[in-house]
Amino acid sequence: MKTIDKLITWSLLKSPWILHFNSGACNGCDIEIVDALTPKYDVERFGIVLKATPRHADILVVSGPVTRQQAKRLRTIYDQMPEPKFVMAIGACGCSGGVFDGCYGVVPGGLDQVLPVSVYIPGCPVRPEAIIDGVVKMIQSVEAAAK
Amino acid sequence: MSEFEKEEKIKAGLEAKFPGAVTNALVQRKNRVWLDAAGEKLPEILAWMKAGGFNHLATVTGFDEGENLGAYYHMTDTKIIVTLKVKTPRANPSIPSVLSVFPGAVSYEKELEDMLGIKVQGLPPGRRYPLAEDFPVGQYPLRKDWKTEDYLAQQPSLKTETK
Amino acid sequence: MSKITIPFGPQHPALKEPENFMLVLEGEQITSAGINLGYNHRGMEKAAEGRTYIQNLYLIERVCGICSHSHTTTYITNVEELAKAEVPQRALAIRTLFAELERVHSHLLWLGVAGYEMGFETLFMYTWRDREQVLDCLELLSGNRVHYSINTLGGVRRDITAEQKAEVLKRIKYLEERTQYYIKLATQEPTVLARTANVGKLPYDVAIERGAVGPTARASGVARDVRKDDPYLLYAQLDFNLITHNTNDVFGRLVVRALELVESYKIINQVLNNLPEGPVAVKVPMKVAPGECVNHYEAPRGEDIHYLKSNGTDKPERLKVRAPTLANLQSVAYMLEGGWLADVPLVIAAIDPCMSCTDRAAVWNPKKGKTEVYSWEEMRKLGIEQYKRRGVDFSRL
Repeated sequence: MKTIDKLITWSLLKSPWILHFNSGACNGCDIEIVDALTPKYDVERFGIVLKATPRHADILVVSGPVTRQQAKRLRTIYDQMPEPKFVMAIGACGCSGGVFDGCYGVVPGGLDQVLPVSVYIPGCPVRPEAIIDGVVKMIQSVEAAAK
Repeated sequence: MSEFEKEEKIKAGLEAKFPGAVTNALVQRKNRVWLDAAGEKLPEILAWMKAGGFNHLATVTGFDEGENLGAYYHMTDTKIIVTLKVKTPRANPSIPSVLSVFPGAVSYEKELEDMLGIKVQGLPPGRRYPLAEDFPVGQYPLRKDWKTEDYLAQQPSLKTETK
Repeated sequence: MSKITIPFGPQHPALKEPENFMLVLEGEQITSAGINLGYNHRGMEKAAEGRTYIQNLYLIERVCGICSHSHTTTYITNVEELAKAEVPQRALAIRTLFAELERVHSHLLWLGVAGYEMGFETLFMYTWRDREQVLDCLELLSGNRVHYSINTLGGVRRDITAEQKAEVLKRIKYLEERTQYYIKLATQEPTVLARTANVGKLPYDVAIERGAVGPTARASGVARDVRKDDPYLLYAQLDFNLITHNTNDVFGRLVVRALELVESYKIINQVLNNLPEGPVAVKVPMKVAPGECVNHYEAPRGEDIHYLKSNGTDKPERLKVRAPTLANLQSVAYMLEGGWLADVPLVIAAIDPCMSCTDRAAVWNPKKGKTEVYSWEEMRKLGIEQYKRRGVDFSRL
């Protein structure tokens, strides 16, 4: 593996930066995502920081069923992220459409109809511990692939 | 004599001020009055109510009644809710805008246009709400003959190429 | 100087939900603001017509994760009114308890978000840490931190034991002390005052005209609270104050919410110490007789109003939900105009929006007298050409 790839992988594993995108969620998962950053769960000790722009982010954390109005914009945000990038589908809505499956305003089937998803985290809403678990599993799989 | 004096007074006041335009008025229970109102007189009635203390238009419910399309205006002075039901024929639905009385009602009127296809006379042009920009024009989801399953079957798959 | 319109949202670090504001700027000052919504439109009212009343409980809960109890309670109150069900007093008490616990969690959440928008990250961390106490109470009583689903048709799903009651009272006592600290901070800390005083002004008559509700309206002196005006659940029997303030700005909204926290603790203590005995639910038949009704509720953000029409089956004929933020958004445009760009996140956060725009930039050229809309590609080309004229070539990027 080239040195630059090793450097990129190391910084990703040690400090994944996330961008949070609400694609039509009810906010239950959003407040649990923000909760993961607050003192009780404190993901910043793992190097995880919430960034403001897709150009700084490694992981796109998407909550909510994808509404049709948001689908194009979600795709644009994803395209603006630099490689390597990962997508986490948060909550039952991201995994499968959740309680909104069958509503005309959402894309049927959940997030993976619009973006390639790396990690699915179920729950309605997710627990912050589940989010941390998901990130850890993802980092472990990247580590294993890098070897 | 009903035990709901304030509500009866409001009902009587409306019937006296707008004879013919206000019909079927009913005091349903404490703090709830329902009546039918004629569309053309709507802005006038709401302005009169606003001056009399009912200065909050809580929301507007659109409903497909079959032969007619209904727009129900829920007015309140936060204690009593008076619902004015305006009906307009399905073949050519149209009601006057109440923005002159309640400038905050813009979202509610846009919703009537987008979801039921009721033309609101006097609503300034602008982006549609609440439907998505690429939602087909001429389809009104809240009408009873519009089926979600048919709409979803028509949609092309949004699955995109991954980079 | 030409005016430039920039889109604020739907993806923006200050916004937790997607909405779009088109801000027309002259330098750093906002001359006008337009609002575009609809990013969160899922089609729930139509979906509700195809689901039973019980299934709709779980759908309507997810209108909003922060005030889910408000929506289910208003909805189920409507259904029970049409079904002419007599809900037991103990169930009403438990619903009131959850309503106030929700108000506490929501106001603490808001205090944190407002602190974050001001740049006061420590306040954000402190309030959210304290908010965990409330979430623990909610999880203890209902099984979930968010989306408690405590309501069912005819009452509530679960009862409260004596141990749970003692645990909740203990945590509320801790929160009462912490809230005194936040009130002192909000009213005396100079940086908070500097960022919030005279920002986002909304005078009394504009608030009424534009239909503002909740703490946004109460901070402008509008003395309205559905709990006092049209009491529902147990509020007619409880002792608490209606909090208003008269500064019409973000500072007023901060003070109103902080003082409402104190009132909520009072109510929680009263409810828990006087829980009526009896069953927690009555059996209600699934099919509801035809009728219609409308009910409102004081959610943490303001008046939440639901309309329900039934048709004799076990599915509703029409369900309409108007959440409080939609009523408050019309006032936001007024509040933003004349203000500074740096205050925009705080003003929008001050109405506590519970509801997203890579639109293009529209540039109004006063010399040509018309508005031109530039797409992303055109803007990039414009930038490259401008810099080429100054001797720098970015076209290879």
